[in-house]
Amino acid sequence: MSIRTPTRTQALLDYLVFTAAIATGLSLFSSASNILGLLRTASNGLFLPLLLTLVVTFLLDPLVNLFEGEKISRTTSIFIVYLLLAGIGTLLVSLILPHGMETWLALKQDLPRYTARFTSLLSDFQTRLHQLAPFVDGYDLPAKGRALAERFVAELLLQTPRSAMTLGSLLILVPLFTFFFLRDGQRMLRLGVALTPNRHFEMVHDLSYLISRQLSQFIRGRIIEAIIVGLVVTAGLACTDIRYAPLLGAIAGIANLIPYVGPIIGMIPGILIALVDLGIGGEFWWILTVYILIAQVIVDSFILIPIFISRVSNLHPLWVILAILMGGKLSGVIGMIIGVPVASIIKMTLIEIRHYRATFSLPDGGDERG
Amino acid sequence: MNPFWQNIFRKRPEDESVAAFLGSTPLFAELDPRGLSTLEGRAHSRRYKRNETIFEEGDPGTGIYLVRSGRVRIFSRSGEKNERELASLGPGDFFGENTLLAPAPRTASAHAQENSELIGLFRADLLDILRKHPSLGNKILLGLARVLSERLQTVEKASTCAQQETLTPDESDETETAS
Repeated sequence: MSIRTPTRTQALLDYLVFTAAIATGLSLFSSASNILGLLRTASNGLFLPLLLTLVVTFLLDPLVNLFEGEKISRTTSIFIVYLLLAGIGTLLVSLILPHGMETWLALKQDLPRYTARFTSLLSDFQTRLHQLAPFVDGYDLPAKGRALAERFVAELLLQTPRSAMTLGSLLILVPLFTFFFLRDGQRMLRLGVALTPNRHFEMVHDLSYLISRQLSQFIRGRIIEAIIVGLVVTAGLACTDIRYAPLLGAIAGIANLIPYVGPIIGMIPGILIALVDLGIGGEFWWILTVYILIAQVIVDSFILIPIFISRVSNLHPLWVILAILMGGKLSGVIGMIIGVPVASIIKMTLIEIRHYRATFSLPDGGDERG
Repeated sequence: MNPFWQNIFRKRPEDESVAAFLGSTPLFAELDPRGLSTLEGRAHSRRYKRNETIFEEGDPGTGIYLVRSGRVRIFSRSGEKNERELASLGPGDFFGENTLLAPAPRTASAHAQENSELIGLFRADLLDILRKHPSLGNKILLGLARVLSERLQTVEKASTCAQQETLTPDESDETETAS
């Protein structure tokens, strides 16, 4: 069979068609990246409010369900829950706000003292280290520590008013979003599931129900666990003369959301303050016992985790470290806190799908049935 | 009224709604309009093209389908190409009710014989109704129990008849003398 050589006109036509195709592809790619860029800019800053909204929705859903019934509509029951929360919130703010301002002003005054003490502790440590191991030389630990502490204090003083502004916008956005998520969340989920092709609709609908039930239990469990650990630490610290017990309790509770590493990070400020203000003595050892033995071992590991947290959500330490690193890279400290729960959620979703397949003995390679 | 406004404020006639259709089936005949409207909010309306698969034998089954329009063929396969038709269902009929309470693999296949609209109600929806509207959930469960019991009685009768037919005349005479 002979191969026909293209004429000059055909070659020109081919050339034009290929050029037009490449130009169209490039312009499509460029407009797509423009659209993606626009979308990214438009949704910038919405990630945190949406995530918090999801958490609050999962927390409030059982309360709303409690009021909702034959006589009370869902919207009315959401309003009842909001009214209750507004009442409790007002009461708490009126109690905490004066104390909170006092604490903040005292902390602002005390911070230089803590950083100075921290630097002198580092200096003592270096002297001892030098005595024990004379070959460790030429590394100015106190200067590095001082620089780090100064940077931290400057950052804290600068970031706090900015955080207060973010908090203000969150206080408006989160309740608003939560209202709609609570009222229409089910409908939104149904609309999403309804897009599934007919053939897989039933399975996707059932799986979405099972997964959302697991997730709500997990998020609720984690938040309740953090609150109880925070309260236990606050109560334990309040028995001593340490200052800022409620603040330290709150830090311990929030840090407790990160497994393995969180409790250690959560206890560092408390131990530092205890070391500076109280010195090593009976109270210092009690504070250490409260942090490690009472809050972590007895309350968290023996009581809370078996009750609230399913063993299914446990992550391998390697995944925890990866989740923290990746979360931190994506959205800083908040990313580090939420990285691990997000990883747990992904793991639970996968396990639920596997469990579902096992229940109905589905083949692993998809539905290639004869 | 101007046709434009008429179109905007047009209400769907009662008998066209999914709630009215659900109320016309024996499963939900006992429900009041409010209960039917709640059920309508939980049910899923799905449209199937002619010959489209609804489910295959062995698929995970978690709910019931009601035929609102069109026809559905229920059949089982005994080999690669041997299909045995079990039923052909039309508007108002329902199938798959066994898996609503206890999820299990489907025991037969269902395909749309013509363009059809089905209303699906699944275990997740029933559990949600039971949690939020217990009395409505109880009525639905009672309806379901009644239908299942009727079907069981029919099967029992059919199996007794089949047994009697297979008995030889001598055996049946012996049985009669014994009784």
